[in-house]
Amino acid sequence: MRFTIYQESRQGGRKNNEDRLAHCYSRDALMMVIADGMGGHFYGEVAAQIAVQTMTAAFQREAQPKLEDPFWFLQKNIGNAHHAILSYCEAHKLKDSPRTTIVVCVIQDNVAYWAHAGDSRLYLIREGNVAARTRDHSQVQLMVDEGLITAEQAETHPERNKVYSCLGGTHMPEVECSRKTPLQAGDIIALCTDGIWGMLPNDILARSLQHPNLLQAVPQCMDRVEQWAGAHGDNLSMIVVRWEDTYSELTHSSVSTQTMGPNEFTTQLDEFGRNPHYKSDLSDDEIEQAIEEIRAAIDKYSFKK
Amino acid sequence: MGQQANTALPGGFQIEDYTIDRQLSLGGFSIVYLARDKEGKDVALKEYLPNSLSLRGDGQTRPVIPAEHLGAFRYGMKCFFEEGRALAKLSHPNVVRVINFFRANDTVYMVMEYEQGRTLQEFIHKHLGHISERFIRGVFVRLLNGLRVVHSNKLLHLDIKPSNVYLRSDNTPVLLDFGAARQTLLSDTPMLKPMYTPGFASPEHYGERKTLGPWSDVYSVGATMYACLAGQTPQPADERLQKDQIVPAMMRWEGQLSDHLLETIDWCLNLNHLYRPQTAFALQKALAEHGAPPASADKPPIKTSWFGRLFGKSRK
Repeated sequence: MRFTIYQESRQGGRKNNEDRLAHCYSRDALMMVIADGMGGHFYGEVAAQIAVQTMTAAFQREAQPKLEDPFWFLQKNIGNAHHAILSYCEAHKLKDSPRTTIVVCVIQDNVAYWAHAGDSRLYLIREGNVAARTRDHSQVQLMVDEGLITAEQAETHPERNKVYSCLGGTHMPEVECSRKTPLQAGDIIALCTDGIWGMLPNDILARSLQHPNLLQAVPQCMDRVEQWAGAHGDNLSMIVVRWEDTYSELTHSSVSTQTMGPNEFTTQLDEFGRNPHYKSDLSDDEIEQAIEEIRAAIDKYSFKK
Repeated sequence: MGQQANTALPGGFQIEDYTIDRQLSLGGFSIVYLARDKEGKDVALKEYLPNSLSLRGDGQTRPVIPAEHLGAFRYGMKCFFEEGRALAKLSHPNVVRVINFFRANDTVYMVMEYEQGRTLQEFIHKHLGHISERFIRGVFVRLLNGLRVVHSNKLLHLDIKPSNVYLRSDNTPVLLDFGAARQTLLSDTPMLKPMYTPGFASPEHYGERKTLGPWSDVYSVGATMYACLAGQTPQPADERLQKDQIVPAMMRWEGQLSDHLLETIDWCLNLNHLYRPQTAFALQKALAEHGAPPASADKPPIKTSWFGRLFGKSRK
C-alpha cells in the first residue's frame, strides 16, 4: 500500500470541539473514521469519542493484516459503537443519550469500502472531479431527493443540520454502505464534517485538494473555510488520503466489470469435447525449463556440505 | 479399462549417475526404486510412469505412449513437476528431501534421500496392540512440524497415511510421497483422477474439493493415529457420510490411553471440517500440551543404562 494521508480537526468558533477523527493502518489495510458529536445533545464529544475508539479498536483486532469482509466489519462495528454509546449513557444515568454521526472508510487491495450514518461526508475525487460522495441522512437531503426543494435552497435551509440517522439515538442507526470501489493511482478520498462541506461547494473542495502536496493543501483549505465561517463557525475536521496504487496492477486474477460498456460481453466457453487444457502440451523446452527450475530450487534450499 | 502394470527397471540398471538396486514400491502413477549414487550412497528414485497412459513391457527401457495419450502423459508430468517444485522448496527434517531431478528414458525422475528405517504401516503391523501414547504423541508432534512447513508453503499433502509416514531408525518421522500435493492456489480441476486413499482421505476429498484445506490433512493425521491403535484402516469417509460406523476413539480405547489423546483423535475425525482442528498447529498444540504421558501402566519400560542416566542428568 502506498498513500499520503493528512488529518486535522479545528475548534472553529465554538466553545469545544465535538468532532473526533482517526486513521489506522496495518500492512494491508487502511481505515479512516470521522465522528461529529451532536451539539444539541449532552456529551456530544463523548459519543464521538466512543464511536471513533470502537472503530479503531475493532480494526486493530480484525485487520490481521486485512479484514475478511470489510462491509461486514463496517456494519457490525458501527452497530457496536451505537450500543457502546447507549451503555455509557446507562452507566452514567444520562437523561438524554449523546449522539454522533459517523463516516468510516476502509481501503484494502486497492478497493475502497465505506459506510456512514448522519451527515458527515466522504468524497471520492478522481481527476479533479467528485466521482462519488455519501448522501446525507438529513431531512433536507430527502426533500432534495423528492424534488421538494432545490440543491441551492437546501444550502440555506433552516433545518439543514437535522439528521435522521445517528449513533446513540433511540433508533438503531441507518448505516449506509457504499459499493466496492476500485481505486486508481491519484484518487483522493476525503472524509469531513459539516463544518467543512457546509462552507465549501463540492467542486471547489475537489479542486483545492487536487494539489501535489496534500500536507499543504488540506491546512490551506481549512484556513479558508475557517475564515469564511467567521467567529461563530462550526468545528471543522478532515481526513484526506491520496491513493498511489492502481487496482488492476495488483490483482491479475480478479475481474472488474466497472469499465465495461453496457452492451459489452465477455464470454468464456470450453470447446466441445475434451477439456482444452489437455491440448496444452508441455513442449520439450518447457520440460527442460521445469527441470532447471526444480534443480535451482534444490540448490537454493539445500545446505550443501 | 484393463490396466497392465508397468515393468520395473531391473536391478543393476544404470540411469545417469544412479544404479538401481531394487523396486521399493509401485503406484498407479510412479515406481520408486532403491538406487545408489556415484558415491555409493542410497537414494530413493521415483520414476514418473502413469499406468493408464503408458506401458513399458519386459526388457524395455522406454515406455510406449500411445499418441492419443501423449497430451495427458505430459499433463501428468506437470503434476510430477509440481511435486518436485513443492518438495525442493521444503527443507525440513520431517519432510523428505529432494536431491536431484532429471529427464531420461522419455520420462522424468526425482531423486530423494533414503534412510534406514521403516514406514509407520510396517511399524503398526509389527507392534500391533503395543503402541503407546508416548509413541503416538512423540511421532505425531514431530510429523506435524513437517506438515506445518508444508502448509506454510501453501501446499496441502492430501495423502497422509501410515504408508506415507517413514520412521527413521530413531523413530523420527518423515513425511513421504507428495504425489497428491497440490498448490492450493492452483486448484484448477485436475485432469488425472485426484488421488486419495479411502479411509485416510477426508470427506472433502470426495466432494467438490473446494473445501479442501489444512483441516483435510488434519483428518488424515487423525485417521492415521486411529489406525495406529486399531491396526486397520478406519471406515472411509464417504461411507461414514452414508452411515457412520466408526467407533469413537473415546469409546473404543477408554481407560487404555488418556482421555485427552482419545478426544484429540476424535476431534480430528469430525466429518464436518469446521469442527476439526483448523490448522496443523492447533492439533500439534493439543498433542504437545499434555505431552507428559500419564503415570499409568501403559508407559513402556525404559531401559536406561547408568551411562544414559548420567548423560541424561548432565544435559539438564
